[in-house]
Amino acid sequence: MTATLFIEWTTLISLVLLAVALLVSLVRIVIGPSLSDRVLALDLLAVVAMGFVGAIAVRTGLWLYLDIAIALALLGFLATVALARYVLLRGARQSPAQEEGR
Amino acid sequence: MLEGLELYLGGTLLVLGAAFTLLATIGVVRLPDLYTRMHAASKAGAVGGGLILLAVAVLSQDAAVSVRAIIGVMFVLLTTPVSAHLLARASYLTGYRPCNDTVIDDIAQSNE
Amino acid sequence: MNTVFLVVILALVWAGISGSFSGLNLLLGGVVGGVAVLVLREAFASPRALRRIRRIISLAALFLYELVVSAVRVAIVVMRPNLSSAVRPAIIAVPLTVKSDAEITLLANMITLTPGTLSVDVAADKSVLYVHALDMADKDAMIADIANGFEKKIQEVFE
Repeated sequence: MTATLFIEWTTLISLVLLAVALLVSLVRIVIGPSLSDRVLALDLLAVVAMGFVGAIAVRTGLWLYLDIAIALALLGFLATVALARYVLLRGARQSPAQEEGR
Repeated sequence: MLEGLELYLGGTLLVLGAAFTLLATIGVVRLPDLYTRMHAASKAGAVGGGLILLAVAVLSQDAAVSVRAIIGVMFVLLTTPVSAHLLARASYLTGYRPCNDTVIDDIAQSNE
Repeated sequence: MNTVFLVVILALVWAGISGSFSGLNLLLGGVVGGVAVLVLREAFASPRALRRIRRIISLAALFLYELVVSAVRVAIVVMRPNLSSAVRPAIIAVPLTVKSDAEITLLANMITLTPGTLSVDVAADKSVLYVHALDMADKDAMIADIANGFEKKIQEVFE
């Protein structure tokens, strides 16, 4: 197997794994049950999306995507900090009220 | 041959990172309560994301891109524990109790 | 001799971040680095600073090793078919000997990224750090582990 072919396959495998990861973390966002669980899953989702963009950067060879990945990581962090403040102010509700969780 | 070696190393790092990220999400779905889930999200998630950025740094073969990717790795390693800690603290203070399997809870004891 | 070395390193970092290794850019990085070293001369030149840098590197190496171990352990736990037998969560009060905010922050961050532990809260008087453990076997052993590992090294760095 040549090195280029190896890269092609590994990026493909990584993209598939990350796509599954996106779906799995979506499960936790949907089923909750509390707001904190959803915020945690959202934080992880941002990391997965960052990895996805990184894998795309490798696959396409467009390294500009790296800046997008780093910006996404920054955004995920800020969002989690803001949402943690929100959790603190509002109080986590343990009830599985799906409508309220949004 | 040397360039080829770089490519193999980068590809392996990429797949490892993706696998860790996937395991982190599986952990977030399977583990019993918020605090145990946070273990999966903060550790496996940070390592997964960090490994992918490291793979970008190895594969890009361009100093500017590599340095930015490594700064990105440091950023991820610095921010993930901070956000996990903030969320854990906010959740505990607003009354999210750990699950019933929890053996010891020193915070609850100190508040009594 | 040391300052020249530092200026060269700073020039290379400058060139790396700005993305061009041309002669002019390296020169510019060297000038900026030279000014920075001139301003901060006192802080860098002493042998104490060098010892401190070595300790920072040793702390970073320990941290990276523990980080990899912790990720692998969490991954193994997650893949267990019967999950409830593998996890024994607990929240433990770990007494702090480090006092300043910076040290506590560093310690809390490192605890979060090391095997089986996650910092949850700091007591209001900064005397106790509450740590969540994923799989608690021996409370005293865990506290001793944190105190003798990271806490000691952090103290050495900040002394």
